[in-house]
Amino acid sequence: MAELIGSILVLLGAIFHFSAGLGMLRMPDAYTRMQAGTKASTLGNTLILLGLGFYHPEWSLKLLIIICFVLMTNPVSSHALARAAHMIRIPMTRRTTVDALRATRQRRRSGK
Amino acid sequence: MRRAFVVLVVVLFGLVFTSLVIAHNERHSLRPLAESYVKLVPQELGAPNVITGILLTYRAFDTLGEVAVLFMVAAGVGLVLGASNKRRKSSPRKVVETARLSSEIVQSGAQILAPLIAIFAAYIIMNGHRSAGGGFQGGAVIASGVLLLVLASTRYRIDLEFLSMTESAAGVLFVLTGIAGLIFAGGFLDNRMLPLGQFGAFFSAGAIPILSVLLGVKVGCELSVIIDRFRA
Repeated sequence: MAELIGSILVLLGAIFHFSAGLGMLRMPDAYTRMQAGTKASTLGNTLILLGLGFYHPEWSLKLLIIICFVLMTNPVSSHALARAAHMIRIPMTRRTTVDALRATRQRRRSGK
Repeated sequence: MRRAFVVLVVVLFGLVFTSLVIAHNERHSLRPLAESYVKLVPQELGAPNVITGILLTYRAFDTLGEVAVLFMVAAGVGLVLGASNKRRKSSPRKVVETARLSSEIVQSGAQILAPLIAIFAAYIIMNGHRSAGGGFQGGAVIASGVLLLVLASTRYRIDLEFLSMTESAAGVLFVLTGIAGLIFAGGFLDNRMLPLGQFGAFFSAGAIPILSVLLGVKVGCELSVIIDRFRA
């Protein structure tokens, strides 16, 4: 039973990883690609590690630590990358309607 | 045209890798040298991790040489990049001020992660004789933590003097441990000058953990100095 649950979790994680890869290929610009890669792969990683935890209960503490580490690092790193991309003005897709970061920056500049 | 070229490259890579996979046949027995090491290391040195046992005992002299090579790299980078830094030294304040501050998320993320990275590095270094890990890897992890801090905060200054002092001290202690092996045991860097202890325990395998720690400190300091040199 535990093995079945573990296998289903690993399979779900693999599906999320697949969708992350698909998003990398199909999304129109750097920012949307980044969010596809980050969100889907974070969830995929978590699910796969949880599934492994069902397979090997004796690893669960280490797996939990790895999950926490991934949950902490993945969003921060992709945030830093996206911000850097915004700073050097990598263009967004034409369908973008809101750019909160640029609006904030302009407001701050005019405030000075 | 470009697409055809990409497809061609992919097909070529595929051919290369398939030929590699086909040509690969797994050896079912170890080579004589490997076999003797696999037998000797747990027996003589009391270290479950054969590779660390080899690196820090039988081939410890090579490891010392590798650390020396890393030291040369650090010195060379300092020589090349330090000079160009001096020219810019007329306005170091300005560089710091114009440097773009990293966002709050990165800063607080780095504050949370840096201690975790340090703990992980200590874990890798201290478990080198029991499982995968060792001084070099742990040192690299330490340096990655320093790199994270440098990236997160432009005002973060590395104390280069402290680093070079620590590094030299670790190097001297490494050689002294080696000489102690020469006096109390079979030869230079022989780990049996300390009791081997229980096989697989935390304090075991003679002097290997000590050498591992010294190596980790030395490598971490050297790599941190190299990272700091690359700062504008």
